[in-house]
Amino acid sequence: MRKCRLLRMALFPLMFAATMALSGCWDIKDINHRSLPIVMGVKQTGQKYKVLLLIPEVSRSEMNIKIISESGITINAILDEINKSLESKLDLLHLKVIIFERPVAEMGLAQSIESFMRSRDIPNKTFAAISDGTLEPLFDKLGASSQGGGTQLYNFFEKNAGWSPEVVQTRIWEVYRSIDSYTRDVAIPSIKPGRTTTIESTGAAVIKNGRMVGSIDSEESLLYNLFKGIGTQGKIEVMDRATVKIVADRLTLSSTLREDQATINAQLNLKVTVLETVGDPSNVEIKQEIDEQLSSRFDTMLRAAQAKEADILGMGQFFRNKLSREELQHWRSKYYPSMKIKFKVHVIIQDEGQLKIR
Amino acid sequence: MDRSIQVIAMCLITNLGLIFFLYPADIIASLSTGHWSAVLLGFVIHIGMVSVYIKGLSKCAPKNVIDLFQSAGNVFAFLMLLPLAVYFVMMLIITVRAYAEIVTMVFLAQTPLWTIMLLFLALSTLVSLWGIESLFRTSMLIALLFFPFLIIVVILSFQNVDWHYMLPFVDRKTATFSYVFHRPFLQSLFAFVGGFLFLGFIPPYVPYQSRKIIMASLLLLPFFLISVYVPLLTFGENTASKFPFPFIMAVDTVDISWLMFDRITIFFMISLLCFVVLFLSLVMWMTLQLLKRSMHFFNAPIASVLLAATVFIVCLLVPSWSNVEQMIWWNTYLRLYAAFVIPLVTFALGVSRRRKEVIRP
Repeated sequence: MRKCRLLRMALFPLMFAATMALSGCWDIKDINHRSLPIVMGVKQTGQKYKVLLLIPEVSRSEMNIKIISESGITINAILDEINKSLESKLDLLHLKVIIFERPVAEMGLAQSIESFMRSRDIPNKTFAAISDGTLEPLFDKLGASSQGGGTQLYNFFEKNAGWSPEVVQTRIWEVYRSIDSYTRDVAIPSIKPGRTTTIESTGAAVIKNGRMVGSIDSEESLLYNLFKGIGTQGKIEVMDRATVKIVADRLTLSSTLREDQATINAQLNLKVTVLETVGDPSNVEIKQEIDEQLSSRFDTMLRAAQAKEADILGMGQFFRNKLSREELQHWRSKYYPSMKIKFKVHVIIQDEGQLKIR
Repeated sequence: MDRSIQVIAMCLITNLGLIFFLYPADIIASLSTGHWSAVLLGFVIHIGMVSVYIKGLSKCAPKNVIDLFQSAGNVFAFLMLLPLAVYFVMMLIITVRAYAEIVTMVFLAQTPLWTIMLLFLALSTLVSLWGIESLFRTSMLIALLFFPFLIIVVILSFQNVDWHYMLPFVDRKTATFSYVFHRPFLQSLFAFVGGFLFLGFIPPYVPYQSRKIIMASLLLLPFFLISVYVPLLTFGENTASKFPFPFIMAVDTVDISWLMFDRITIFFMISLLCFVVLFLSLVMWMTLQLLKRSMHFFNAPIASVLLAATVFIVCLLVPSWSNVEQMIWWNTYLRLYAAFVIPLVTFALGVSRRRKEVIRP
């Protein structure tokens, strides 16, 4: 027993030492010796990539923003190069947004998205975005308005900050999922530097198997969000005779498959409040106007997507119970282009604002 | 005194520690649709073997497995239990090495492997030295501390699921069970076998009621299903099959803006690592019991330090993750032996002993 106690006494300091060493402090770099980029931009010139990083530098008195750029063969080579020349350690753990320049998306994102997913430090819930113009003006704009400490772009997408229902939110893992998926494509929000605001939303890019094949505008992005199940509350619909605000939405879908003809019945229930009327429309007229506007917008969007064989609404998901796995492989090419959708909008005018409608 | 609660806690802890890392990848690799069938099959095997094992033990209570096997002859016991001891040692090596690798992959990217392995081994050696009663008391403490975190993370992990990925529900491979004798499924049994053999070693030190244990084992089924289905429903089969640790990936996608911590994965990892350390100490204690019985010159502290040192050295010799996977595969025969032969022999011995006692009371 004494021996046992002796051993315990010997083991305890050893353990204590090991715990000290392992409390996460191995090769620790303090926070003031790290550069924590918030936004990463990726562009392609010829065979080479160029990476821009937006790094906020906080000192006691003020907040500065540093923009670093470097070019090289692969993104990781560039990051390594930047790390080499930086006086502090580059730490991508808090990267919030990755912006691809439009040509990169058109060439194909698969390679870079895969390397982001593989990396240990880039979180897979980082937002993806596409820049409509070149990246430099956008970064200059972001850097110049240093009030938010470089977080404007993140806040722009963040649901509890500046996000609005016509802005698409897409994270890296969603893009990665769509690359191999049989039945689901993805839209990545596109942005450009705003005229008076820092950023302006220009809709979204349609990504099929990691490659940009088209684009949708902001109004269509709203429908995309609707199908994705992200609330559209707060969106304002402007029509000829009235302007309404969406207060609640509910979408129910059912699918049928008869002789290789896929059909979707979609019923959208909207609750709106009236903000403005032009002339003297009745409730019924307002409802009808909303229905027509949304249905026609939806039809154009779907037709464009079907022509590109890009299933951004994830309609294929609703046929997973009707098709086998082998058939699902051909969903995009065989069933989706000829898919019919019956889109019905049922509008409830919850209230008419502070004024009565005739 | 009935210590069923402690045994139940230990049972849950050891299994949970093993479920969430390697198991989902194996199940996802073994099938392309209808993963529920593989999970359920594994689970039925698990429950079946646990019941057989416990039944056999209860026939000859309060003896433990070693006593029981020795009552049938020393040579017999030695031959039967030797593979089990080898299996335990292999399991120690694999678990320590694999989990150290997982830790560096998920959050301690800078830390060298040997320190993590040393920490695991030092902690578990210490806990196992304190004896089985304190081991079980620790299990209660750890369960109380970490179950809430675990449950919260498991609930939150459903944030990004799309239930349509559940379908197609069945295909030919699922219906015919043709996946059973292939490598991924056999490897997935790793998660089941590790967690129940201790039930035979703890009597008479820690008494328990067999019925309660089997009921509690049923609680594990949702966790087995969740560990496989959350990544599948989040990513879809095509993408989920690309990850070495699908569940961790799925938890990584969870985004909660009101939580001040960015990654809930860390909570999850820390709680599971505590479970794993406890599991390691339990396995270490069992191995020592086996060693002590067969070779009397071993006394506890020296033997356990020697065992830990051996495991540590072997772990250092394993260079890469693919070697770890290879070792898990090599261990399959021993695992099948531990999963099927030991419970069945226990049952047979238990029944025959009972009969003898009935004949000459």
